[in-house]
Amino acid sequence: MDIANSSQRIGKHKFKISNFLQYLLLIILALIVIGPFLLGLWTSFLPTSSITKGSLAGSLTFDNYVTAVQTTPVLRYLLNSFIVSIIRTVGEVLLCSMAAYAFVFLKFKGRNFIFYLFLATMMLPFEAEVIPNFMTVKSMNLLNTYSVMIIPFLTSAFGTFMLRQSFLQIPTDLKEESDVEGLSHFQFYWHVVLPYSKITLLTLAAYSFLSSWNEYLWPMLTTFSDQYRTVQAGLRQMQSTETFNNWGMIMASAVIVVIPTLIILFVGQHFFKSGLNDGSVK
Amino acid sequence: MNKRLWITSIIGVIVLAVFGVFFSAHSNADQSAQSNQRIKIIFWHEMTGPGADQIQQFADNFNKKQTKYEVVPEYEGSYNQAIQKVLQTHGTNASPALFQSMDVSTGQMRNANITTPVQKFIDEDKYDMDKIMPAARAFYSKDGQQLSMPFNTSQPTLFYNKAVFKKYGVKDLPTDPSYDDIKNAAKEITDKSKGAVKGVTVDAYGWYFEEFMANSGQTLANMDDGHDGFPTKVDFTNQATVNAMNWLQEMNKNGSFISFGSGSTSASNEIASFLSGKLGIMLQSSASMGQLEAAAKPGDLGVTYYPRPNGQKSNGVAIGGASLWISNDKDSATQRGAWEFIKYLMQPENQAQWQKATGYIALNKDSQTEPVLKELYKQHPEAQVPSNQLARTKPNATNSGILMEGLVQMRTITQNAMQQIYAGRNVNDALKDAENQFNSYLAQHNKANGYSNK
Amino acid sequence: MLKSFDNKALEELNDSNASENERAKKGLKKRSDFGYAVLFLGPSLLLLGVFVFYPMIKTLYMSLFLTNNFGQTTIFVGLKNYTSLLTSASFLASLSSTFIYVIGVMVLTIVLGLALAVFANQKLKGIQFFRTIFSSTMGVSVSVAAIFFLFVFNPTTGLLNQMAGLLHLPQLNWMTDPNLAMITVIVSTVWMNLGFTFLVLFGALQAVPRSLYDAADIEGASKSYQLFKITIPMISPSLFFVGIVTLIGAFKSFGLIDLMTAGGPNNATNLLVYRIYQDAFLNGNYSQASTESIVLTIIIAVMTIIQFKVLEKRVNY
Repeated sequence: MDIANSSQRIGKHKFKISNFLQYLLLIILALIVIGPFLLGLWTSFLPTSSITKGSLAGSLTFDNYVTAVQTTPVLRYLLNSFIVSIIRTVGEVLLCSMAAYAFVFLKFKGRNFIFYLFLATMMLPFEAEVIPNFMTVKSMNLLNTYSVMIIPFLTSAFGTFMLRQSFLQIPTDLKEESDVEGLSHFQFYWHVVLPYSKITLLTLAAYSFLSSWNEYLWPMLTTFSDQYRTVQAGLRQMQSTETFNNWGMIMASAVIVVIPTLIILFVGQHFFKSGLNDGSVK
Repeated sequence: MNKRLWITSIIGVIVLAVFGVFFSAHSNADQSAQSNQRIKIIFWHEMTGPGADQIQQFADNFNKKQTKYEVVPEYEGSYNQAIQKVLQTHGTNASPALFQSMDVSTGQMRNANITTPVQKFIDEDKYDMDKIMPAARAFYSKDGQQLSMPFNTSQPTLFYNKAVFKKYGVKDLPTDPSYDDIKNAAKEITDKSKGAVKGVTVDAYGWYFEEFMANSGQTLANMDDGHDGFPTKVDFTNQATVNAMNWLQEMNKNGSFISFGSGSTSASNEIASFLSGKLGIMLQSSASMGQLEAAAKPGDLGVTYYPRPNGQKSNGVAIGGASLWISNDKDSATQRGAWEFIKYLMQPENQAQWQKATGYIALNKDSQTEPVLKELYKQHPEAQVPSNQLARTKPNATNSGILMEGLVQMRTITQNAMQQIYAGRNVNDALKDAENQFNSYLAQHNKANGYSNK
Repeated sequence: MLKSFDNKALEELNDSNASENERAKKGLKKRSDFGYAVLFLGPSLLLLGVFVFYPMIKTLYMSLFLTNNFGQTTIFVGLKNYTSLLTSASFLASLSSTFIYVIGVMVLTIVLGLALAVFANQKLKGIQFFRTIFSSTMGVSVSVAAIFFLFVFNPTTGLLNQMAGLLHLPQLNWMTDPNLAMITVIVSTVWMNLGFTFLVLFGALQAVPRSLYDAADIEGASKSYQLFKITIPMISPSLFFVGIVTLIGAFKSFGLIDLMTAGGPNNATNLLVYRIYQDAFLNGNYSQASTESIVLTIIIAVMTIIQFKVLEKRVNY
């Protein structure tokens, strides 16, 4: 009995040590992952004078944030990003769900062919097409507008596939019933299909918003004034003009810019996870 | 039913199109609503830091002073980026009315026919161009016609750390040093400091490569550096270039030369090294003057003219920097407004202020007597060296810039060659390769653009 | 970003045909919905046509010509742009740095992402907090990441060199030395990829039946044995998926390069997409940029096809 007891105690003790080690390891990993972010956050509260001296100590202050908001268009960049990202998200969810509906519920000649055509767009990197696309939007006189950052991205093969997959899981009975009730395709699409696939639609919306927010090359090429620059193009602008003068303010702007996406990520994390796992493997 | 669907689908597509147009129209309305009385002059520039601040200030002052125009400065990234942005937006709503474009883009801007030469307004206003420094004017003119107005103008200059020279008992450099003067001083510093201080550096920067030729009176491209027609060939293997490169390589071999590489980071690293007393001599744009003066102790900063070949009088160097161009895709009132702003910028007091704020040379001859500059020269006599160098330069074909396209690519190639030479490659081989590489580019470029001298 | 659904989609194309037959069997009237199809599919097709298919053809077309300063095609040269590109030392150097970068990014991303996922897949108090942190880099956009890392690697004021200074280690020129600059951009890219990779791999790990580990524990198998013999084989489809997505993403890298090194120093980080940008939008050499774009497209297309094929097989595993 004594022996049993002591061995149990040893086991418990061991468990604690391994627990402690596990936490230690997790904390180290967590610090590595958020290290750059913490550093940025910390320096954003330091006066630039102490940053350039190479010191990470100093009295904390909100000055950098005040300067960023007052002397740079960072809030305008944020507004622009929101406008562009929200319209793009709504547009993409709408057009992709319509296309997915066509692939699932409509019968027409050449459906498979068009589907393969959609599939093929996955192989064509946007980065390789910027030159003609630039010329296209130029000939439409869309340069330096919101629409230049919205229109080319109102649909995507990826979103269509994702929704098509979800629509396929809608029981065929539902369609039959609605046919019996005399629902048109529009009514069925709007009142049955969309509500049924709400989770997938939200997942796509979150992706769409994040990828729009993170879009870098295209806004940089097609915007020429702060009136339309999104945060990505805007931060590039600020970084190239100010880096050597005002690290603290640049950091403050970066922190201002990162907060909305972090919030979206944390709120939408659940959707991401389920979406990702559906997508990658069974 | 089917017919109705067809109609609906067409309407759908139209709605989509309207959606797009609405946004562009909306945004354009936005722009014009803000300035319903004033004519908006969008001004693209590539200045950062103090230069950008000063430009904003000039624009604010100009806008306050009059009620007809509103100048809106927009920073558009580096010089290289801006050239393509200007060319690619020309004729759209996004294009600027007035833009700043770098020295070596002059040939391309001229050939592109997207600007109204400022000569037109000079003639209309009988503007006195004699007030503007001739070497700067010459760079941006062709066949007696002023294409653009020189604006931020720098000179390649040699800087040396007088404190370091003094510490190791090395004699100060003459104002007009030869290659050997520099070589000897650099060697002496390196030897006496036992290698703790490096004697000299020259950035692998295409501008310096070109200036070595200019200062030797050697043309780089045929057709008199493009002042006589479209250049079809460049010459990197001439004696003047070989001499300059040999000189750099010799200093490299004897250990008194340090290479910081190429690009903007190399410039900032070498300035940091210079200011911390680990580097004796460096070539830099005079536009760094403000930064160096602010950081160096008074009297520690030595400034001389650009190095000249041994036993030869210097021919004078071409300017660096950029000029102001008026787009021809805007209505005449807007173009006029752009010109008015140019005139404002060229006023003696504004040019003086510009030099003080940035280190770029005041181009209006009357600026030299402005109190701002007098005060500056009293505190920093060496700040006068670049403008003296510019003022004494008699413009000729070899020191008035190269009117050729593709100089951005050429610099990539020559910078590469310089780095190879620093790394010990045979000078003639490196130069020959670079020459062939660029000549084949140039031939193709001329062909693609339909340029010929017939 | 997510190219996963396509393989499934391919597979389910057959499923849907099957369900269609089912429907037909059930006696639904067989009529064409062509009008509706135009309505539902039209906008998407129009956009893809204008912004994906047309530019691809146009890029291919431009790659066969010389172009002038305004990007207009002027002289037909056939495949000459390709031969001169593929024999150009600087382009080949770019390609090889792209491959070094891509492979470095992929390997490090998978190893680190897997490590995070394995350590987060434990039953510990507060583990959810760590999971959230591990996924957080997914919410950091490229310009923000670049600014953070520019500061970390800054030669004088950066965190790394300051720590090196404190510990009396040599301070390295992270951004100005060609080899170190490559490491700098690889590290930054891997960091940005971590959140996404973690989420995918962690999700896959959670799907591995607990009983497999319990059985291994009973048999006294070591942790590393379990990792290599149970975990990795069980989640190999996810690993492959993450690997190829990372690979494709890395081939398309632009933002970090543009912000951190601008292709330098000495072209060491002049990766393919940056080069395309540089040739087109800095040098105005549109035909060369188009030719490079086609090379990029071929690489991406091959990767995507491999992804389709392999995952198609693996997915039923």
